[in-house]
Amino acid sequence: MAWGGDEERRADGDEEEELDETDYKTQKDAVLFAIDVSDSMLLPPPAGDQKKADKDTAVSAALKCAYRIMQQRIISQPKDMMGILLFGTEKSKFRDDSNSRSGTGYPHCYLLTDLDVPAADDVKRLKAMVEEGEDLDELLVPSNEPALMSNLLFCANQVFTTSAANFGSRRLFIITDNDNPHGGDKNIKSSAAVRAKDLYDLGVVIELFPISRGGKKFDMTKFYDDIIYRDPAAEAGVSDEIKASKSGDGLTLLSSLISNISSKQTPKRSYFSNLPLELAPGLTITIKGYIPLHRQQPARTCYVWLDGEQPQLAQSETTKVDSSTRTVQKSEVKKAYKFGGEYVYFKPEETDALKRLGPKGLRVIGFKPRSMLPMWASVKKSVFIFPSEEGYVGSTRVFSALWQKLLKDNKMGLGWFIARDNGNPVMVAILPSRSSGGDTSATNFLPAGLWLYPLPFADDVRNVDLPSAPRCPDELTDGMRHIVQNLQLPRAMYNPLKYPNPSLQWHYKILQAMALEEDVPEKLDDPTIPKYRQMDKRIGEYLGEWKEQVAKKAKEVMHSKATKRESDFDDEDRPAKRAKSAAAKKATGSMSNAQLKLALENDTLKKMTVAELKDVLAGKGISTTGKKAELLEKLEQWIEDNA
Amino acid sequence: MADKEAAVYIVDLGESMADCHNGRSESDLDWSMRYVWDKISTTVAANRKTWTVGVVGLGTNKADNPQHKDGLEGYENISILQQIGPMSMSDLKELHRKIKPSRTSGGDAISAIVVALSMIEVYTKKLKYNRKIFLVTNADSPIDDAEESIADVAGKLNELNIELVIIGVDFDDADYGFKEEDKSSVKATNERVLLKLVDKSQNAVFGTMAQAVQELSIPRIKPVKPFKAYDGSLTLGDPAQYKDALSIHIERYFKTKRAPAPTASTVVTKPELIGGPSQLTMAPDEDVEMGGTEFSGVKHMRIYRVNDPDAPGGKRDVEFEGLAKGYQYGRTVVPFSESDFPVTKLETKKEFTIIGFVPFSSYEAFLNMGETGIIAAQRHNEEAELALSALIHALHEVESYAVARYVQKDGAQPQLLLLKPNPGIEDPFECLYDVPLPYAEDVRTYQFPPLDKVLTVTGHVLTEHRLLPSDELNQAMSDFVDAMDISTFGTDDEGKPAEYAPIDELYNPVIHRINQAIRSRAVHPDEPVGPPADILVRFSKPPANLLDKARADIESLIEIAEVKKVPPKAQGKRGKKDQVKPLSGLDIDSLLGQSRRTTISPSNAIPEFKQALATADDDATVESAAKQMGSIIRKLVEDSFADLFYAQAAENLRVMREELIGLEVPGLYNKFLVSLKKSILSGELNGDRREMWFKHIVGGKLGLITQDESEVSEVTETEAKEFTT
Repeated sequence: MAWGGDEERRADGDEEEELDETDYKTQKDAVLFAIDVSDSMLLPPPAGDQKKADKDTAVSAALKCAYRIMQQRIISQPKDMMGILLFGTEKSKFRDDSNSRSGTGYPHCYLLTDLDVPAADDVKRLKAMVEEGEDLDELLVPSNEPALMSNLLFCANQVFTTSAANFGSRRLFIITDNDNPHGGDKNIKSSAAVRAKDLYDLGVVIELFPISRGGKKFDMTKFYDDIIYRDPAAEAGVSDEIKASKSGDGLTLLSSLISNISSKQTPKRSYFSNLPLELAPGLTITIKGYIPLHRQQPARTCYVWLDGEQPQLAQSETTKVDSSTRTVQKSEVKKAYKFGGEYVYFKPEETDALKRLGPKGLRVIGFKPRSMLPMWASVKKSVFIFPSEEGYVGSTRVFSALWQKLLKDNKMGLGWFIARDNGNPVMVAILPSRSSGGDTSATNFLPAGLWLYPLPFADDVRNVDLPSAPRCPDELTDGMRHIVQNLQLPRAMYNPLKYPNPSLQWHYKILQAMALEEDVPEKLDDPTIPKYRQMDKRIGEYLGEWKEQVAKKAKEVMHSKATKRESDFDDEDRPAKRAKSAAAKKATGSMSNAQLKLALENDTLKKMTVAELKDVLAGKGISTTGKKAELLEKLEQWIEDNA
Repeated sequence: MADKEAAVYIVDLGESMADCHNGRSESDLDWSMRYVWDKISTTVAANRKTWTVGVVGLGTNKADNPQHKDGLEGYENISILQQIGPMSMSDLKELHRKIKPSRTSGGDAISAIVVALSMIEVYTKKLKYNRKIFLVTNADSPIDDAEESIADVAGKLNELNIELVIIGVDFDDADYGFKEEDKSSVKATNERVLLKLVDKSQNAVFGTMAQAVQELSIPRIKPVKPFKAYDGSLTLGDPAQYKDALSIHIERYFKTKRAPAPTASTVVTKPELIGGPSQLTMAPDEDVEMGGTEFSGVKHMRIYRVNDPDAPGGKRDVEFEGLAKGYQYGRTVVPFSESDFPVTKLETKKEFTIIGFVPFSSYEAFLNMGETGIIAAQRHNEEAELALSALIHALHEVESYAVARYVQKDGAQPQLLLLKPNPGIEDPFECLYDVPLPYAEDVRTYQFPPLDKVLTVTGHVLTEHRLLPSDELNQAMSDFVDAMDISTFGTDDEGKPAEYAPIDELYNPVIHRINQAIRSRAVHPDEPVGPPADILVRFSKPPANLLDKARADIESLIEIAEVKKVPPKAQGKRGKKDQVKPLSGLDIDSLLGQSRRTTISPSNAIPEFKQALATADDDATVESAAKQMGSIIRKLVEDSFADLFYAQAAENLRVMREELIGLEVPGLYNKFLVSLKKSILSGELNGDRREMWFKHIVGGKLGLITQDESEVSEVTETEAKEFTT
């Protein structure tokens, strides 16, 4: 085989990296599943007596997997497309039959779900197939002669060309157990290779998900090595390992397939690329940035037009109008800052100049021990960075050396970071993450590299000044320590993958039910709700005793405070008056609940001034708008509820 | 519930304020006004009706104050320039005209303070106010130094709880380290008198102008009152079900909250008022206002449209009132009636409950998803205080965090928070900090190759490779990082070594730069925008003396790293004749060679176009390929039903552009694009195809290839810009 050596291959990869600045293609992803339907793919698994034994044929596992991924994508990638193409089927179908290409064009290719943003009907049909095993149209019947791979590849080509012409990421997922579809027929193999090259030139990446069975190795060299190209967007040094899915080792074929496909499911989108990282004057390397952690929100509401045959999304367009509702032309519009109820105007070039605080890039200011990062200093998600050789050759090794040093000595960098031209500067801590190999890393669901952790500016820090509470006695701490040690999360770590967002899950469960016209579910399985019963079993009794201890100590503290207070009163010699004026005291913000309650009972609350009332309410986190009577009402309500 | 404020500024306008002293090229008045304008414009910027400002002129040509009217002595040459009240930008401009040095040297500063305090007394009555008097003066005119009158004034200031700030031009200030040589005896006496007044007042400050002006560049952070986000129980277990479960009454505040930068509003120039401003009301001595254009805000009107094949352009407007609300599930829209709408919201009850604990070592800061909260026990609740204190110390001792489910109020989305113990170290009181954690849906699994080894395609593991650092490079990096340590590179208030660039010195450059610029523009509309203040970009690069110290290590790192800049031309461009091969290395081109692709079919245009170019031996083939591609693009636009084929046409165009840049024949593309534009805009491609031009070609940045992109292009940046606008 002509490998051409590692060096050369990597060099190719580097040069072929896509440049995101010039890449104005829409950052959308389209995935077409191509599922092989053959006798062996439809062979039921050997009956096992274990509970977890396989029940799925390979085709049904693949369809289940596609179904699950379709649902996931609706939630997390609502604008991305997906399609399912069966090949090797007796029946053939390509789009609607009025198209002259249909049927005859791609024999034994059946386009089950056309490439598009999935619709409820697509989900429904797939669900019927995988959950009820419904196959009304007898699609899952293998043809006598195998499908030509060249046909399949050209069919995929047409699907991508027409449906996802300008998508930034287009991928064909082939799921098959046949490593040698065309035996020794050289001509057929060649035409498949040519069609594969077409797909490559079109910018479609083929991902192969081979299924191996009965310990038989899926031999890439027989056919697929001629079909598969390295991902042109891959980083230097990446190994595109192709993992075969199989059942066994307590893993079903389905779960094995899901894990393999899921790991490649999300398209890798970079946040920036070819960004200079200046380690010191005269030493710059290039990096790419990614956002592996991003808060997923339910999609926003939309407006629906119901007067047509089908509910239709109403697209909104905005026009700008001035105070006399005259439509304003784009050229008339100016930007001005509000200032004291009026506007202060800057010319466009001045506005630009104001925002320009430096070129884009990351510049190292210095290094500090990791311990100097205060644990409260958090404002927003971090950006993951990884070296790229596109701007500076040698970036990777320098980056690696920095990463290793920061890890080894527990240090962090301090950086000035501007992600885009005219972007806002952020001060960041540069933190290393450990390599994901093995159990040594607590965050092995995240890649190893460096993270740009945004530091709060002084402007972002709220000045919360709280009184010092009395320190608890050691025996209470000791007791609590026991509890902490006995209620560790599984594997003593927080693994986000175990905690789906309950609001999001519920939102889409309801939506799905409504869209598919199914019954609305009653309850949600929510792992963020603590396992109360288990907790009680494990520490309940102990905690109960501890609580009694706390109550006892609290009484002692209260008592000693009370004695102190009494002696204070004695000094002033007017305890009676003191108690009466409790509500009208100056420092009302710090009135205790007991004092408030007393004031309510004695009906002295209304003696408080508006300012004092507002102080108290603000202290309780209650809105302070309204007239005095309303404020009083709010406070009384609060006292009744809380004190 | 903002605090109300009444501030009176006393500005010395005596004739000597027009002079420049002590080597400054700025008059005392202009210099002092830098401080005053900054203060007043900050108040104006806040745009709060309850923040009021009054201004008194000292040493004015005439007298205009109630005390003088009542016939009291010693109130000559003092004028109220502006009564206390909310301040607008037009007030600011008005005031700007009044601040001019006089032709007199009279005016008693203490009397002016009396005028100011009686203004405040009248205005604020007994209401709750922050009361302030600012006096800026060069103390050149005599002040009555009668002991009892000073005591009276101080007494009155204290009685009304007024804060007095006296800032003097070239006043001696030992703390700041300034002493004026050759000070006149009058000024020296005056300084002593004023200092005496400050000493007798409970809440008064005495300072020198140099310090005040210098501190103007230090950004002022807008104080925000602590906001209580949660007041209720933090539970361990479920107290409703299990009697042994723990419930601690806590309060939660924000510790960090991102301060937004001021955003510009979209405005238009106000239509001219009919007839224009009346000439009669113009005072004769008023300057013609520069840049006094009036602006008015712009509103957004929303129209809703739906697809309708019968309507012209395929779309028609619909009434907003007739629309239902809904969500999208994939591409299916799911309408909801108003009553069904809440069903999609998860029903939740306000709660804050611990799920379990994890060791410090299992968590990394970069998992933090957002802003920090601070949790303390309910005030005056001993049981809560003790229990929370025990939890904080226990967590601290066993080095663990708690993970908790947090529902801020009934119906709110549940969040998972990581609770971190602070036993009085980072803040001087015991508390828990909390940061939001990611959910499963928030994690995107991206694969990256390892950084410490290279895996070859054949499965070998390499530990020596050009992508991996040598031991030498590792050592050089280590030395560099150590040399650039800034953990003790700064200095604290006492001049001792301290952390460099701690968070309380990191000012948000955007916020303060824009605010400073707005304030200065409001006061001085004609001055240009200056560069950002040094303090704002202080941390944009490493300190110079640190670089000097680390020079040797930096140089050796540079030498060993051997980083080379990729020449700009090679970047991102595929080699002209680079052969791309599948994993097997099979030579596809030779397979293709048998049926050399010279004609390009519309259905497989992109691959065939690329392959035709890749195997082209002469210009004619390239030209022919480009021509064929051009026809395909035209045909797609022409045949497109509405915008159906636009994306495909644009993609073909994009590939064509990219490839022709690569072959350094931009002219072919530019020529085609010029003719395509003409065809589209003249409507000869079967109807109105402007969307193709504006949205896909202009919006997709598929304009002419410029000289920046390809040296051989004859199109300049400006020409290309013109072409697409």
